Amino acid sequence: MTKVNLTPMLKPKSVAIVGASRNPEKVGNVILKNYIDGGYSGRLYPVNPNADSVIGIKAYKSVRDIPEAVDVAVIAVPAPIVPMVLEECGKAKARSVVVVSGGFAEVGETELQDRITKIARKYRMPMMGPNCLGVMDTRSRTDTLFLPTYKITKPQVGFVSFISQSGAVGSTVLDVIAGEGFGLSKFISYGNAADLDEVDLLQYLMDDEETKVIVMYIEGIKRGKEFVELARKITKKKPVIVLKAGRTSAGSSAAHSHTAALAGDYAVQEAIFRQFGFTVANDLSELIYFSKIFASETEPRGNRIAVITNGGGAGVLTADAIASSKYLKLAELSAKTSHVLRGKMPKLVNIRIPLDLAGDADEKRYEDAITAVSDDPNTDMIAIIVLYQTPGADSTVSAAIVHLKEVVDKPIVVMSTGVGYTQAQKVQLESGGVPVYDSPASLVSSLEALLGYTEYLKTNK
Amino acid sequence: MVLMDYMRAKAILDKYAIHSVPSKYVSSSEDAAAFAGKDNIALKLLSEKELHKSKAGLVKLNLSGEKQIRAAYAELKRKGKSIRQYKIIAQKMAEPGVEAIIGGNTDPQFGKVLLLGLGGIYVEAFKDTQLRLCPITKSDALAMIGGLRSKDILTSNGKSTDMLVSLLMKVSKLLMSNPGIKELDLNPVILRSGSYDAVDLRVLV
Repeated sequence: MTKVNLTPMLKPKSVAIVGASRNPEKVGNVILKNYIDGGYSGRLYPVNPNADSVIGIKAYKSVRDIPEAVDVAVIAVPAPIVPMVLEECGKAKARSVVVVSGGFAEVGETELQDRITKIARKYRMPMMGPNCLGVMDTRSRTDTLFLPTYKITKPQVGFVSFISQSGAVGSTVLDVIAGEGFGLSKFISYGNAADLDEVDLLQYLMDDEETKVIVMYIEGIKRGKEFVELARKITKKKPVIVLKAGRTSAGSSAAHSHTAALAGDYAVQEAIFRQFGFTVANDLSELIYFSKIFASETEPRGNRIAVITNGGGAGVLTADAIASSKYLKLAELSAKTSHVLRGKMPKLVNIRIPLDLAGDADEKRYEDAITAVSDDPNTDMIAIIVLYQTPGADSTVSAAIVHLKEVVDKPIVVMSTGVGYTQAQKVQLESGGVPVYDSPASLVSSLEALLGYTEYLKTNK
Repeated sequence: MVLMDYMRAKAILDKYAIHSVPSKYVSSSEDAAAFAGKDNIALKLLSEKELHKSKAGLVKLNLSGEKQIRAAYAELKRKGKSIRQYKIIAQKMAEPGVEAIIGGNTDPQFGKVLLLGLGGIYVEAFKDTQLRLCPITKSDALAMIGGLRSKDILTSNGKSTDMLVSLLMKVSKLLMSNPGIKELDLNPVILRSGSYDAVDLRVLV
């Protein structure tokens, strides 16, 4: 398997935008504007045969007129002229290309797609697309996504990288990620995958130091054998969360045996993901839930969950969800911890899990409780419920939890339900690396995902 | 794809030390009775067309003595008239246990996959199955068993788990060493604590 270097595409020193129109409605114009607005600091070269400048930047008639060999050429011209533009990019020694234009295999134009793939390969230019949104790198501030900036919130800088076969799913997730406290490293929408496909992208991200968690949305795998070869290695380096579409596609109707009928395309792919330690998300919400728990970079030693709460009912609901989980169980406090807590907690607090700190719990009570419970060898993960609607819970509680996350050697997650004030606390917590969930169910599935990955690493050294 | 002859398929299982119940093609009820001796037997009508033998009434189980064997043989003969090509096979009854399905399939992209599930008539009702790409490791086999909702039904103790792990690894080996085998059904495999028998098998090449 040859490894493709995507650095010129993701960290370009120079970018040509072919099809950079003066019309602000056109894709090429939006891309150029996003590079400018995003604070990209490399050299920008709009290419437009009918303009001397676009958005105040000198324009070139052809890629071949640009005074240097660019790191990446972003191509946003109508499909029929893409082959000609690619030839020019090749002759101008562009190091990589992103073809955002549609009108290829997705509408049946497979021959045209084969033609552009051949040209890209002839000149050894790695090609993203066609029919894709392209790439975003929050550190280099490269952004070929033609989404108007006022419609999509950009995520902050982080360590989660996301690759998506679908542009629409990709941009939705991107917008949602921006509302979460964990940040993004790279976003890649690879569209028709005529040249670069998921295997190339995963291989690059596997060794990328700016990526600690990989998230992927995938509809089908193109190179099965290479994918498996890579899958064996990648999850040993970092977690990969996958949302696979095609769940409902009917199994092969021509199956001759029970086994064949039960081993349809989707079932096999999902089995392979699980076999090689991928974390399978069932929907977009789980994709986000799992991303944040992996982004928090903690490793559980076991499956015993300690629940601390300032609301009795919420504590019971969460304890129920944990008790009915296949893999998790409620922790039981040691005699020593119980003794410590009894000395620190008011009389009305019952010393058992779920540990109900009562509605007037403030940051001091939370701090004492979390410290004692996480020191207990009988606990593996700490689930803290904070109902911010109560008088005692405010941003000082959030600050205390963020601080404790730094010093405690066990995964800490928060369950908090609400809007407005609660949302603001959620951002504060997540910016400090503490994942926040809004329901017992999402909390439990995320802890299970984290535990499942840890177990995989233990049994597959 | 064509269905491999039952006795040939059985011989391949034998080679990989995968137990299946003693079986023999019979051409008369006397033949079947001789094969049975003092044991109870099953009679099955085998044809390329009938996947659902038990639904079509083409399986006669637990036959004891010449009288029962004769009646069952005659009935299968009668049902066989509408099916042009068929054979009748006599099989020793397996000791009772839990029914599992173990199977293999060839994915066009990824190659051989192995399946384990709750077997017999429950296969389609519950679809409680686990799949893995071959070759599997011991920890894959354990994860397959652990991933089933019916894991406590299929394996009652450490001994039965070890036996099932070893069986799964043998089937994985068989699939990997015989690329010509496109599909394989061992359904049911009767699991008992410490022993098992594949009772029915289908191999497609």
